[in-house]
Amino acid sequence: MATTEDGSAVKMIPYTNETHQEVHQFLVWEAELLDSRRYEDWLNLFTKDVVYKMPVRTTKAHTLEESVLNGMDHFDENLYTLRKRIDRFETEHAWTEDPPSRTRHFVTNVRVYPSDENGELLAKSYLLLFRSRGDAHSPDLVSAERTDVLRRVDSGFKIARRDILVDESVLRTQNLAVFL
Amino acid sequence: MSINISDIVSDVEQGLIPANVYSDEEVFELEKERVFGKAWMFLAHESEISEPGDYVVRRILDDSFIVVRDAEGQVRVLFNMCLHRGMQVCRAEVGNASFFRCPYHAWTYKNTGQLVGLPHHKDAYGGDKGLRKDEMSLLSPPSVDSYNGMIFASLDEDAPSLEEYLGGYKFFLDFYTKQSEEGLDVEGPQRWRIKANWKIGAENFAGDTYHTPHTHHSVVEIGLFKEPKASKRKLGALYFADIGGGTTYHLPSGSFEEKVAYVGYPENMIESMKSVWSPEQQAMIAEAGFMPSAATILPNLSFVHNWPQINEDGLVVPFISIRQWQPVSSTETEVYSWFAVDKLAPDWYKEASYRAYLMCFGSSGMFEQDDVENWTSITTVAKGQLAKRLKLFSRMGLDKEGELLSEPVEDWPGPGRAFTGFGEYNQRSLLRLWGQYMLGNDPVRAKDFTPTPL
Repeated sequence: MATTEDGSAVKMIPYTNETHQEVHQFLVWEAELLDSRRYEDWLNLFTKDVVYKMPVRTTKAHTLEESVLNGMDHFDENLYTLRKRIDRFETEHAWTEDPPSRTRHFVTNVRVYPSDENGELLAKSYLLLFRSRGDAHSPDLVSAERTDVLRRVDSGFKIARRDILVDESVLRTQNLAVFL
Repeated sequence: MSINISDIVSDVEQGLIPANVYSDEEVFELEKERVFGKAWMFLAHESEISEPGDYVVRRILDDSFIVVRDAEGQVRVLFNMCLHRGMQVCRAEVGNASFFRCPYHAWTYKNTGQLVGLPHHKDAYGGDKGLRKDEMSLLSPPSVDSYNGMIFASLDEDAPSLEEYLGGYKFFLDFYTKQSEEGLDVEGPQRWRIKANWKIGAENFAGDTYHTPHTHHSVVEIGLFKEPKASKRKLGALYFADIGGGTTYHLPSGSFEEKVAYVGYPENMIESMKSVWSPEQQAMIAEAGFMPSAATILPNLSFVHNWPQINEDGLVVPFISIRQWQPVSSTETEVYSWFAVDKLAPDWYKEASYRAYLMCFGSSGMFEQDDVENWTSITTVAKGQLAKRLKLFSRMGLDKEGELLSEPVEDWPGPGRAFTGFGEYNQRSLLRLWGQYMLGNDPVRAKDFTPTPL
């Protein structure tokens, strides 16, 4: 659920509502862009002031809410750094993704909430990333929940902020040359 | 045992590496006992446990340790196994605790390791007749020490002191870990698993400048870091001293201040370096003109220091990463990667340096992504029969007779020795040390052994 500042639950926008369906479709489309490696188009889904963050997950006694490490992330990106990452994949010399990974981004459990900000929505979704490289190794699975701040634009939505809560404290994939 | 370790070490000493050392299970079993069971192993940095009660759980291979700052402020390293029936005392990875209570039978340990409580002492044990709490504490490794806030432990009861172990390498360790009197703030680690043998990363960071222009070609292309161009990379010095070695970049001419500013350090940090580094340490950067980059201390502790451009305004900022290649098996390694920055660095610098680190190294780092692909692939093809017969050619810098093709750097201001140009001197030195441990020898105290015979 999402909570307001006073801690009360914000009601999820019903699945039958058109807004939910638009957001759900947007996230499914985003997954298709990633799995078909259309990175330029994917980058265009972000606002100029985007924050894209994936903290390191850890194991702490008595708490799940605070089971992230302070001060260290796997990703803490702005548009410039995301641009650089995409630029790198567009050179012919990003060896780690040549041959490319075969990925499948499974997006489920989409929940959309209204936001206090005009023109914005909060969207949470589960992500299961399947990643296979070559023929020698079993595939990798990376599970996470994404919390997105979406901004309405003419073409639909753009992502103003993405927080990725990954479910493992030790990632079982050789690197993050893929996006979540 | 089907491997012949003497033969393997003989080959390795000539710079010919039987490729199966990067996958062989028997080699790994021997490494567990003879290398990881003897060497000084990095566990944590003191800044990770800065307040009393702070702890992190780390390991030396299969031995789990609670690294905790006790109520009096002293750092303790406690074997994470209850004295009673062997339950894992602490199942969290990080936290703060005054006491650790075992969930099995509620035996309770103070964060010094001392057993202070257990249920039904009188009924179950007849009080002190059956069990004296004051005589029981969680085990500790026989040797624990620290240098510049880096906490190390050794499982060897006869280990040399940490000081003796590090030897001349301390000179170079200071560049990464002592940029001021206050020392480092260390954040992390990121942890992720790669299907690669631990030695490959260790050797790479010790001395592989030859791979930088090609493996990391893309980072030059996108304008992230311009130094790795081949024509420039070979100008750096490759140094090795006692237990470790590393790579450097050659800097354009200038004073100490100008050179350190060139890589992006602000004035107050430069002043601080001048006050804590010896004239010889400063001379390595100033007169000799070399800025430390990657490095490895045997067996599996590495460092890296680069200075990328982090925004469209062209801001160039350095970062330091500490990393450990933690073996999981002969073909799998868990990378622990920390970000380190001096405590006295300005806030803007800490933020910018952290960004620089995330862009370059770590789980998503643009340099590290391509390194890992190489090392995983090596390990995959090192598993078969032919890998036992293939002696990898690690003789860069030597002629066919094993003589040096170029002379070491003259007037090298630091301990050990250094070469400019491309060469695999450091990889050979690291594996020479490895080889001695694998034979059951003590290279640190052996009078007739040096990792750098040439």
